[in-house]
Amino acid sequence: MNSGAELGADMTEASSASFGELDVKSFDDSIVRMFAAATLLWGLFAILVGLGVAHLLVIPKMFGGSEVYSFARLRPLHSSVALYAFLVNGMFAALYYSVQRLCGVRIWSAALAWLHFVAWQVVIGMAVYTLPRGLMQGRDHAELVQPIYLAMIFIWTVLFGLNYWMTLRRRRIQRLNVSLWFYSATIVTFPVLMAASNVVLPVSWVKSYPLLGGVQDIVLQWCYGQVSVYYLLLMPFLGLMYFFVPMVSGKPISSHRLAIVHFWALVILLLWSGSRNLHHTAIPEWLSTAGMLAGLMLWMPLWGGLLNGWRTLRGGEANFSNSTVYRFLACSLVFYAISTFEASLLSIKSVSAWTQYSDWTIAHLHNGMMGWNGMLAFGAFYWLAPRLFQKKLWSDRAVSVHFWFALIGVLLSVLPIYVSGMKQSNMWNSLDELGYLAHPDFIDSLNASRGMWWARILGGSFYLLGLVVMAGNFLLTWLLSSEPSGLASEDAERLAMLQSSNDLQDGAEIPCLLESAPVLDAARSFERTSALRWHQIWESSPGRFYVIPLLMILIVSIVQLVPVLFLQSSVPKIASVKPYTPLELMGREIYLQKGCYSCHTQVVRPLVAETMRYGDFSRAGEFVYDFPPFWGKRRIGPDLAREGGKQSSKWHWRHLDNPGLLVEGTLMPSYSDLLDSRIDFERIPSYVDSAKLLGVEYEGENEDLVQNAKDQAERIAAEIVSAGGSIQRGGVMTLESQAVALIAYLQRLGTDLNTPVATDDAQVAAAQ
Amino acid sequence: MSDNQSNLSGSEMNTSDASNDAGTDQGRVFRDDPLPNWWKLIFVVTIAFAPPYFFWFHNGAPGRTAAERYDAALAANLRLQFAEIGELSATRENVLKFLYEDSWLKVGRAVFKSNCVSCHGSEGGGLAGPNLCDDSYKNIKEIGDILKVLQNGAGGGAMPAWQGKLSPNELVLVSSYVASLRGSNPATAKPAEGQEIAAWPPKPVEQEKSAEANSQSDSSPDEG
Repeated sequence: MNSGAELGADMTEASSASFGELDVKSFDDSIVRMFAAATLLWGLFAILVGLGVAHLLVIPKMFGGSEVYSFARLRPLHSSVALYAFLVNGMFAALYYSVQRLCGVRIWSAALAWLHFVAWQVVIGMAVYTLPRGLMQGRDHAELVQPIYLAMIFIWTVLFGLNYWMTLRRRRIQRLNVSLWFYSATIVTFPVLMAASNVVLPVSWVKSYPLLGGVQDIVLQWCYGQVSVYYLLLMPFLGLMYFFVPMVSGKPISSHRLAIVHFWALVILLLWSGSRNLHHTAIPEWLSTAGMLAGLMLWMPLWGGLLNGWRTLRGGEANFSNSTVYRFLACSLVFYAISTFEASLLSIKSVSAWTQYSDWTIAHLHNGMMGWNGMLAFGAFYWLAPRLFQKKLWSDRAVSVHFWFALIGVLLSVLPIYVSGMKQSNMWNSLDELGYLAHPDFIDSLNASRGMWWARILGGSFYLLGLVVMAGNFLLTWLLSSEPSGLASEDAERLAMLQSSNDLQDGAEIPCLLESAPVLDAARSFERTSALRWHQIWESSPGRFYVIPLLMILIVSIVQLVPVLFLQSSVPKIASVKPYTPLELMGREIYLQKGCYSCHTQVVRPLVAETMRYGDFSRAGEFVYDFPPFWGKRRIGPDLAREGGKQSSKWHWRHLDNPGLLVEGTLMPSYSDLLDSRIDFERIPSYVDSAKLLGVEYEGENEDLVQNAKDQAERIAAEIVSAGGSIQRGGVMTLESQAVALIAYLQRLGTDLNTPVATDDAQVAAAQ
Repeated sequence: MSDNQSNLSGSEMNTSDASNDAGTDQGRVFRDDPLPNWWKLIFVVTIAFAPPYFFWFHNGAPGRTAAERYDAALAANLRLQFAEIGELSATRENVLKFLYEDSWLKVGRAVFKSNCVSCHGSEGGGLAGPNLCDDSYKNIKEIGDILKVLQNGAGGGAMPAWQGKLSPNELVLVSSYVASLRGSNPATAKPAEGQEIAAWPPKPVEQEKSAEANSQSDSSPDEG
């Protein structure tokens, strides 16, 4: 015991002494500055695009119906840039700063860090280039084309991960601070999940198909893809919180053992929660139950970070009135409290039955990203700025202004869409006293949301303005401010505090309550175990923070995913479900490129109001030929899973041309370009070849397939023409227009389930 | 720093004595608040709840899965919708009968609103499909034809067939509702198409006849 205490004291001495000598020249902060600048620029861009997207819901013709600026193209752009360019760049900046301090060394390789910076921005540039051009995978959590994901994974593991690992290896402080646990777990987990969710078969640079279709791809996307995003928004930001909150408040983390418990609980539980967003869909129900239970178990581990953050933040020197950084951090924690509680709430099946596919999901997401991640990043940046510039901020008032703008911005962005989400859910799900839909017309739910959508635009504008103020303030600090900040000594003190609160964990001083009590040795050793002293050893070996998360991925994969991916029983076959025809395959491709899945879901849940509105609920076996399935996340238009046969082909024809003419108040833009452009029938065989590669059986030579497509197009065109449609338009015959291919696909949707299979049986019988 | 350390609350321990040879005034604070009891309690409860719930829910007992609960809810809703009329047969007589029963026309209206408005307009004035509110009809000579068009479709698929997508009850009630639209003249009505036809027959007066039309009704005492 004694020697342990001495060892602890020695180590503390060493570390505090080293901090005394360390000044800013000991670290490489240029990389922090670069990432911070990128964060601000991409942040402005992301919010601007978000505002554009929000406008399209209230003024659908805002950008003159241009395809590149359509909702379906800008929405994935907004979410990708907001996540990977704004928040993740911000995370990189703060992470490079804190890791060097917490390890007491410079970053291992400045060159690698620079490469990381440049490559990451290039990758985001690629996303910005591809998405508006319709180069998407059409998968809910993997919208970017595959090469971008591969590049991201490479950059993350090699340019970033390796540098981080080597810095850890060369650290001068033996024990890993809490922040570093969270960073390590993220750095190892995120790329693995991302890679796993991108198991796709590339057929060209920009086109790939998921190897597993239907429900299996959905499970892959949500249980790996969605969880990877969830991981990214939670774990590294908790790590940042554990660094910045004590640095701001000047107090050590309030409970080391709470940090231990909630960290490992998150590592173990987070990965199970992917299916909690798929309740009542066609996934196996046990998977849905498991997701719900994981979501409930996550509530306290998530709030563990909240408790520790809040108790550490409160009672220090900083408070709401004397520190704007404190305000940002405090608000961030409040939003964290709300959104994590909500995450657990929404994972309950009956709650999600109500909220799913409405604006509620969007509100929840923005609550988390703008409130928790955004406010935390702003707070961290305002704390960092005087340290990075080595001078006082140009204006402290501007910081305060930004705070209020950001707070009003989040509230006004989020609260109205909670309201509109509730309105939509209510209108979709309620039945009148006769047992019929209370609001049979889908459009009613959009009209009821419009006021709230206007309000959220105001919120987004405030948020944007706040960021402009921040960027301006930083720029002027850089150019004009000259007063030195003089924070180095305070920082060194606090870093020592942060580190020593870790070091002095060395057991000796913690009294063992049962030491002299008349109990068995076993009880004493249990008491020691539960006091978590064994964790001290763990904190000295970074490997465990890598290996255990990886092990968890393995366990979750074996228990949760392997059965779904490889057991036939998870996806019961339906005899009447047949592969898409060549023309329908092409229609699917158009559906993907136009981004129809941004507004239309394709899965009907077994809920009375829903089947009454859309038709019979979706079965897993119906999606086996969907590579990928377009289940979607949100209904801005009605579900299309049972669209086939609901409308005449002529109706679809006119509706694609000018939706407003047939549906008053619709938000759908015109896709008249589909009526004016020809099908490239030569490409039909390539679509069929891809389907064949994925294991779908097609018969016939290329010419037959093309002929098959032409025949089907002719049949549909005949329907349209005989119902009074025109034979040609602007030199393009109806029977060769792309719209016909899309209509072929739409008319097929959901019709196979009730197609009689008698003919097949008869054939089989005849063959025998 | 060391000044305010001594003021720090409860479970923090000032251990700078243990390393006073460091000779600095940097405080070494070890703070390790115990986990709050409510936190531990909720966490343990959520964990303890999970496995039993999982195995209880998936033990194969009937009525628990989403599909089974849906079947029950659907049956309950059907009872609510059609308790009084039971299962109708899709006949001309029933269409005529319910044309004069306002409360059931509301049900027909609900079916119409869910399925027909995208072509016929929310008031039936016609959009892609014809106006249903005037005296001219394209494929209808008399009231029973409404039902036939609904069942089988018309205009080479311009009007889809609804047989199989809607229940017989819904087919009858929405036919009655469509018949009731005649003469309503909404503001946005399309011009007349097709031929003008005779007015619908009057309400059938004989009680017996309506009982006959209602032959499959559960509530009909004759049927036992």
